[in-house]
Amino acid sequence: MTAIVKLVGVVKEYGAAASLVRALRGVDLEIDKGAFAAIAGPSGSGKTTLLNIISGLDTPGAGHVFVEGQEVTGMSGRALSRLRLRRIGFVFQAYNLMPVLTAFENAEYVLLMQGVAKAERRRRVMNVLGQVGLSGMEQRFPRELSGGQQQRVAIARAIVSEPALILADEPTANVDSTTAAGLLDLMTELNEDKGVTFVFSSHDPNVLKRAKRLIAMKDGALEGSADAKRREA
Amino acid sequence: MLLVKIAWRSIWRSKRRTFITVSALSFALSLVVFFIAFAEGVYAGMINEAVRMQAGHVTIEHRDYHDAPATDLTVADAPALRIKLAALDGVASTKLLVLGQGVAKSGNGAEGVAIMGVEPSVEAKASPLENKITRGSYLDEGDTRVVVIGQTLAERLKLDLGKKLVLSTNNTKGELVEELVRVKGIFATGVVEIDGYVVQTPLGFAQELFQLGPHEVTRIGLVLADADREEEILRAARRIIAAPAVARPWEEVLPDLAAYVRFDGGSNYIIQGLLIFLSLFTIFNTILMSVLERSREFAMMLALGTDSLRIRAQVVLESAMIGVLGCGIGLLVGGIVALALQIHGFDLKSIYPEGIAVSGVSVGTRVYGQVTVKLLATLGGLVFAATLVTSLIAVRHISRIEPAAVLR
Repeated sequence: MTAIVKLVGVVKEYGAAASLVRALRGVDLEIDKGAFAAIAGPSGSGKTTLLNIISGLDTPGAGHVFVEGQEVTGMSGRALSRLRLRRIGFVFQAYNLMPVLTAFENAEYVLLMQGVAKAERRRRVMNVLGQVGLSGMEQRFPRELSGGQQQRVAIARAIVSEPALILADEPTANVDSTTAAGLLDLMTELNEDKGVTFVFSSHDPNVLKRAKRLIAMKDGALEGSADAKRREA
Repeated sequence: MLLVKIAWRSIWRSKRRTFITVSALSFALSLVVFFIAFAEGVYAGMINEAVRMQAGHVTIEHRDYHDAPATDLTVADAPALRIKLAALDGVASTKLLVLGQGVAKSGNGAEGVAIMGVEPSVEAKASPLENKITRGSYLDEGDTRVVVIGQTLAERLKLDLGKKLVLSTNNTKGELVEELVRVKGIFATGVVEIDGYVVQTPLGFAQELFQLGPHEVTRIGLVLADADREEEILRAARRIIAAPAVARPWEEVLPDLAAYVRFDGGSNYIIQGLLIFLSLFTIFNTILMSVLERSREFAMMLALGTDSLRIRAQVVLESAMIGVLGCGIGLLVGGIVALALQIHGFDLKSIYPEGIAVSGVSVGTRVYGQVTVKLLATLGGLVFAATLVTSLIAVRHISRIEPAAVLR
């Protein structure tokens, strides 16, 4: 398998002197293409920081980060923006949809930024909204959708440009267990049928048990990593 | 297109705030348009009255007359020169004037006066003085040894219609001359400097009085159809005349009035500028609040790979939309009110029953505004540009957003 994400000795510290927080303490990690990996750990363990550093939203104090074999550490802000726009999809805990855009327009947003032609945009957005079960709700604004539906729009927005990697930070934290299960079904389906790589963080055991690979973190360091079969064994 | 769509919908997310901001901007701009149009109208009226009553928008005189006005500093061959000047495009009328100093004496006293020799038929059309005659009548062609005087002078010398007074002056040879004249009319402009000082008499009689030749005058005045063409006509007049005659704009001939218009106009613009400046704070506050409230949204857009410049452009576009709405409504409302003032005028007689006098110039109590497309475009453009500059200050915050920290 090819590593889509590779971290070598990544360190991230916040603050200084007495208030120094070591968010990541020399993390080495490889995630393969097509993975369905969960980063687990209690609050403050460094899950979100790890996701932010993989995506280039945050920069490590030391170490190296590679996405699809390309080193992102040291990239300019503009180059990182381009990388996120073209190769990485995001799903946020709080949905973070644009309230002034409809479900269709929210999903279309990234394609517009990429300069995809109108007809192609429409085809892909309609297709992806169908995949996430939102057919018929294209013209609804976020305020007219439930939390679960909003997160589905967020997933549609993340997958519509067919990125190499989707990073999801606690994607089920704000929805009820039934909706969470539905969202995980959707993510699993996209992973298995379309080969989309998912890396998501959570501390919910019900979510974590669905991951094919579990990356455990504690106090900014990897505690261990195991695939599903090993965990079952 | 997406940028426009997001910007347009965003400004209506907080309808009340947008309404207040647009209202503040449009109210301030409409007030500014009204007050500037009002002031421009008053200045135009003052200048018009002053130049018509005195030596026109453009004055031809001896080059030394401006610094030391004396009746021997004349423009020679004035009638022939006048024909050439009158033929210039944009010149509505020309007037020949003889101006000199003297003393008016009656049995009840003596007062220093300005003796103004005028052509009665020309003056009646060009100057507003004929309309200010309150008793008797204005000068007529063929009149001689008659004068029209102001109300104040008449009261000081206890003169009445038909009464005699003596005009005493030095002629061009330096000799003291005295002539007996009768009062034909009494005018009241409301300006003490005019009503107590100016004595108008027919041009021919004034030339006799000062011992000038029939072709000699101290000034030729050009009254223009459009005051905005002053520069152009001044240049054309300078090509026609020959030394020692010079052509001067009214601003040089009436420096006090020009200084007043400049000073008062400048003060007015400063006050209006402050009004706009204050309203820009509302815009700044609105845009800044909007940016601060949407930090998370902008962080998300940055996380998705949106260029920071594009987000800033979106916010500037939102400001531009608010600016267009505010300026559009402000110009429309202010423009309509100013236009109504320009067409119908506004009568201040109840406030100033004795008339209005500013800087030695009388202004009619019915004042008219002066609004032009250029004025509206300039004000609208300036306020719109200021709105954009204000928003540029507010959007600086966007460049400081750290998506990782905001989205945490």
